[in-house]
This record gives sequence, C-alpha cells and structure tokens, in this order.
Amino acid sequence: MLKLMKYEFRKTMFSKTILLVITVIAELLLLAGIVLDRDNGIGFGIVGLVLCASFGILYIGLESLLVFQKDLNTKQSYMLFLTPNNCFQILGAKVIENGLSILLGGCFFLVLGILDYTIVLTHYGELKDLLTMMKLLFSSIQIEINITTIDVIVVVLELLSSWLMTIVTGMLAIVLSATLFAGKRFSGFVSFVIFLLMTWGCMTVINHLPELSGLLDSLAALVFTTLMYLIAGWIMERKLSV
Amino acid sequence: MLECNEITKSYGKKLAVDHVTMKLEPGHIYAMLGPNGSGKTTLMKMAVGLVKPSSGEFTYQGNPVDKESRRAIAYMSTEPYFYSWMTASDVGKYYRDFFADFSMERYLYLLERMELTPDMKTKTLSSGMMAKLKIAVTMARKAKVYLLDEPLNGIDLLARDVILQSVIEECTPDAALVISSHLVDELVRIVDTAIFIKEGRLVLMGEVEDFRTQMGKSVVDLYREIYGHTGAEAESEV
Repeated sequence: MLKLMKYEFRKTMFSKTILLVITVIAELLLLAGIVLDRDNGIGFGIVGLVLCASFGILYIGLESLLVFQKDLNTKQSYMLFLTPNNCFQILGAKVIENGLSILLGGCFFLVLGILDYTIVLTHYGELKDLLTMMKLLFSSIQIEINITTIDVIVVVLELLSSWLMTIVTGMLAIVLSATLFAGKRFSGFVSFVIFLLMTWGCMTVINHLPELSGLLDSLAALVFTTLMYLIAGWIMERKLSV
Repeated sequence: MLECNEITKSYGKKLAVDHVTMKLEPGHIYAMLGPNGSGKTTLMKMAVGLVKPSSGEFTYQGNPVDKESRRAIAYMSTEPYFYSWMTASDVGKYYRDFFADFSMERYLYLLERMELTPDMKTKTLSSGMMAKLKIAVTMARKAKVYLLDEPLNGIDLLARDVILQSVIEECTPDAALVISSHLVDELVRIVDTAIFIKEGRLVLMGEVEDFRTQMGKSVVDLYREIYGHTGAEAESEV
C-alpha cells in the first residue's frame, strides 16, 4: 500500500509544487516588506500567505477527488486495477495520502505562520504592546478566553473526522457514478449530486445525535466514514468495470 | 491454468460475450481471432478483472481472478493507459514496484530494440511508439499468462518481428500466451492454437495443426469462412 500512496502523492505533486512556489513568493514579499519597511509588501505578503493556506489546503484535499474521478473514468484506471492490489487497498491508499497531505500542509502553514508572527512581533515591538493591551482590555470587561489543550484536541478531531467523511463520501459518489454511468459525459455532475445527497443524509443523522460532546460527533462521522469506505470498496471489487 | 465457464457480459441489451467456455493451458500460444466488436477485448478484460462479468467467471489455477492472479497474468490493452506525467523510465519503475516478475534489464533491452529511449515522455509518443512501449513493458514481465490485445496494431514491419520474436522467447512450457489480432497471416507463423470469436460467442477453438490435417484448412481459410459471407456455413461445419 505504501507504493500505491507513493504514486498517489506523485499524481498531485505538480499542484503542490505550484502552491509551494506561490507561498514562497508571498513569504518573500512579506519579508521584503518588513526589511524595507514597506506596508504594501507586508500587506500583499500576509494576504498571499492567508490565501495559500486556506485555499491551498482546500485544493489539496479536493484534488484527490478530482484525481479519483479521472482514475475511474479514463483508461489510466488500468494503471491501478491491473496491479496486484484489491480495491480496498487502492481506496485506502488514496484516503491516507489525502489525509497525510492535508496534515502535512496544515503543519507547514502553521509553522510558517508562527515563524512569521514571531518575526513581525520582533520587528514591530509596538505591535506586541498593542496585543498585550488588548488582552488586558478583554480581562477588564471580563471576557475570559480559556482554551485548554483538550478543547484543541477535540476541535482538531472534529475537523479531521469531518474532513475524512467528506472525502470518503466524495469517493463513494464517484464510484457509484462510474459504476452506473461509466463513460457518460454527465457522470461528473451525477457524482456531485450523489455526493450532496449523501452528505446531507449523514449530517442530518449527526445533527440529531444528543449534544453530549464533540467527541460523539467525531465518532459518528468515523462510523459513517468506515461504512462508506467498505461500501465503496465492495462496489469497486464486485461491480465496477473500467 | 486460466479458464472461463459460461461467462457472459451484457451492456444493456447488447450481449458482448455470450456464454463462452474455454480453457487455456501452459506451453501454448493462442491466436484469438474475430472482427471488431466480436468480444475479444471484453473477454481479455474480464480475465484480468478490469470488466466484471454479468454471469459466469474466470478462474486462474481454480480460483476466481483477483489481485493474486494479477501477479501472474500480464495484460496489454489496445488503448494507451500510462499516466501522462510518466517517461518510459517511470513506466518501468512503476511496473518494477508492483510486479515481482518484472525485469528492468529485459525492459531496457526491449526498449532499445523498439528504438525507444527511457527519457521519452509518454504524452509525446506517437501511437506506434506507444504500442511499442506497451509491448516492451508487458513482455518484460515473466508472467504465467500473457494476454496481448492487438499488439501488432500500428507497429512497423521490423518492430513486428521484434515483438513476435519476444513472444516466442516467452513461450515456455509453464506460460500461456494469447494474442488477438487482425493480422492473421503474421500470427499463424507463431501460434499453435486458434480461437475464433464471433458476435460474442466462441465458434471454434483448436490446434492449428489439427485444422490442417483433419479439416484440410489453414487458419486463414477458416477465418475467411467464419467471418466472410459464408460464415453461417462454416460455423455449421465445425
């Protein structure tokens, strides 16, 4: 399965490289703006980095679905289905590669953000004073912002499980569409409609769960994810012709 | 070795493969013959699991075809299927990563004989060069069953000789080769068994030598009879 993941990563390397290049340009703009004391450079740099982080991560996540759609609807599918791997392995490699790419991308931008934040605060000492004043102001009007480590973990788990469910739902929609409407021009549109319907169904069930904790929502999402992964793998193994 | 039993594939109302039963034995080179749309490609794709049958199944060594059988069955399709970002070298590395029976040495040797170089990009190859690349990477495997779908299409005369030569080299007592082609004259030089497929049905299968001695007919004669205007008469004879 590692070999499958290697080639899944390779398929998306071009877009990741483009994202990296744009990020580097934005970072250089920011650093140049700080060094040369140019507000425009700093502004463009920050905007560029925020856009790269947000839309870049989103695109990395969604690209795996675009690649999967292409894999199932063109003859390039032979490259996967002629190998001695079953469909659960093929699908699993795609899901894991997608998750790892997002995790690594997220960590990269987080570290970059922390570094840039530190550089900006160091260079603009008065900004640090401003942030300290803002904290004191919130405290004085009794707005306490208490974020514990547990809260962070729960939120991260919720985000991850929710994203995983989105990706696997998308993959199941693509598998269903490819199985039923192989080669037809509107199969991409059908995939999207099936995806919307399944997502709506899953979210409806999750929203009706008792509001005990965010962990319960994450667990429900993981259960749905597992179920959809098994269904998608079974359909690919037994019914899908490429 | 590789066999199918009453295998059928339908696409809506169209029956692409109609209750075909056949058995492929090691040590033989089979010619799978039939006009376009006769079901040869569908049959081959079902043998490797790319297409799922409507009924019946293919088995390899007694087990339904699955990921394990793909370790031993090498399939070459008519269509180009390599990833567009790949070079010929990348194609070789991909096959080396997934197929234990793949020989990079033999692959590079076949590339050279096909007048291809490892740095050639797959997206820039002509149809003839792509056909040669597919053959090279398929025949570089030491498989137990080779299924070659129209391997001679778009190939120049000299390269055809190279392909046919590599096919003969791979025909060991423990391997079976199936080649589908319209170039019956070229194939009969190397095959020992012919399979005739018409409108999804297996109409005739037998050894080339038996056709000659028992029926007094060559494979080319039978091809003309089965698929020509006297097709109905020829089928009733066999």
